[in-house]
Amino acid sequence: MAEINSKKRVGIFSLTCDEGCSIFLTEIFNQKLIPWLERMELVYFLSIKDKTEIKDLDIALVEGVVTSERDKEGIEKIRANTKILIAMGTCAMTALPSGQRNNFNINQLKEIEAHLEKYKFLSKALALKEVVKVDDSISGCPIDEGKFIEVFEKYL
Amino acid sequence: MHKCNLDVEISKLSKIEGHADLDIKIRDGKLEEVNLKVMENLRFFNQAVVGQSYAAVPQLVSRICGTCSIAHLTGCIEAVEKTLAVKPSKQTMILRKLTVYSMMIRDHALHLYFFAMPDMLGIDSLLDAPEDKHDLIHEALAVKEAGNNLSQLVAGRAVHAPFEQVGGFSHEIDEKKIPEIVEQLKKIRPTILKLIEIFANCDWEFKRKTNFVALVTPDFSFLEGKIKSSTGEVIEEKDYWDHLHKIVLPYSQATGFEFEGKEYMVGSLARLNLNKENLHTDTKRDASKYLEKFPSENVYDNNLAQAIETLHSVDHSIELLESNKFQKEEPAKPERLTGKGAGAIEAPRGTLYYALEIEEGKVKNLKLVIPTAQNLVNMKKDVEQIVSGLCATDAAGVETRLIASLLEKKIIFEVSKLIRAYDPCMSCASHFLRVNWT
Repeated sequence: MAEINSKKRVGIFSLTCDEGCSIFLTEIFNQKLIPWLERMELVYFLSIKDKTEIKDLDIALVEGVVTSERDKEGIEKIRANTKILIAMGTCAMTALPSGQRNNFNINQLKEIEAHLEKYKFLSKALALKEVVKVDDSISGCPIDEGKFIEVFEKYL
Repeated sequence: MHKCNLDVEISKLSKIEGHADLDIKIRDGKLEEVNLKVMENLRFFNQAVVGQSYAAVPQLVSRICGTCSIAHLTGCIEAVEKTLAVKPSKQTMILRKLTVYSMMIRDHALHLYFFAMPDMLGIDSLLDAPEDKHDLIHEALAVKEAGNNLSQLVAGRAVHAPFEQVGGFSHEIDEKKIPEIVEQLKKIRPTILKLIEIFANCDWEFKRKTNFVALVTPDFSFLEGKIKSSTGEVIEEKDYWDHLHKIVLPYSQATGFEFEGKEYMVGSLARLNLNKENLHTDTKRDASKYLEKFPSENVYDNNLAQAIETLHSVDHSIELLESNKFQKEEPAKPERLTGKGAGAIEAPRGTLYYALEIEEGKVKNLKLVIPTAQNLVNMKKDVEQIVSGLCATDAAGVETRLIASLLEKKIIFEVSKLIRAYDPCMSCASHFLRVNWT
């Protein structure tokens, strides 16, 4: 039991984005998943499991931007339940490219404003650090493989 | 007959691409309403591309979807080339086929092993596979790895492939690495045959009369051909839009499509139903007994069709890599900078259509039709039939509260399983049209 308990509880979360970073992570997993599973338990990753919980996480890897009220509630809940929060990819770090509406001109904004209101979008798409404390980050669109391994293994 | 009232809410369907919820309302033991809600927040690609250079737009739309980014990249490049009269070389077309095959291998493998297989094994995640099935985890990773490495060789990366561009490829293939990649592809062949066998032996069945639509390509390479349907239509790629009709789905950040006024299905099952003759010779030889199943109306045969397409992608890639010499080429240039054009390719989940209007090198308008958006209406009708069936066969006379909870469990399991068989991609589904709410 001691060994099981010492495994890090890891969650992988997608806010608004193309999920390219988590998909690319599944490619990094081709080589790394088996050794990493010795040291971690995947407790949240909707891409591969249904029974999930956002509770007592050691490491939360979060991709995407905070574009709506729902995203904001989501990231706040993740933050409240994890020791380490890692921003995964350029969207999570800088709000771009998924927050591309932030750079729209007045005509482009006019076209989307009704939708923004209907689905409770925030006035701007935000990077994670604009909403919660972020402990570390991994750059790239999608994430750089070497950088991911380096950062993730620091906390594993 | 008992009169059961039940609201089944599936929040965040798992093991699919992107976010979707499903609400089912049952009143007096009868299905009243199914709402399939695509919960992806829009990222407004239709607006974002306006004013951008034709050369930059393919990489921009690649960001619509992580898992099939190569499909968006390739589909958009094709539309740009048709709009601006760019003529890609023979070598470019071979490299594109290899790029698309690399995506099919890893994308289908992800769906089959990680999304669909857990339901067959009665587990939540492939990672929970019992000891005697652990080889499946290793096999899943090996197949994905072979696809991933092929992407890397030809296009630079599996997600947002950096080498593929309008007119050609920015980097040539490193010929020294070809033997190693070919060997990997040959090594996963028996694994894929085992995968085909697993899905061929699966007894899941759901049938409902519908129409199948796919781009039929002469070498099953997903790129160039004519759009055909199981009702006999034959359509040029550029005219596809004229045969589609937009359907608004309430409560959803996506809309659906009908083809010739009716729901239809696109994807691997449609392709096998309409084009199995053009699969690679080696695939036809080794999968012959499974190919007899097609044409099939069983939605779950979409899984089997994906497994067979994975084998074809491996077989044709091996042939292309072994029988061609690759050399450095300059990308083909546009003959004009203003025009209108369209192109269709087959993405992993079905026909992907891009139509563009470009003025002096800048994009003025983009229309795209995404596979999952085309499947949404069909999927919803299938869910309705399944739920109605489960309500009708539900045993009478047992205490209602108990039945309601059993029925709810059964509905959630069956409906999730069916939706997964479509391999829907909600990240994609929520991006296609200019949204006009007024």
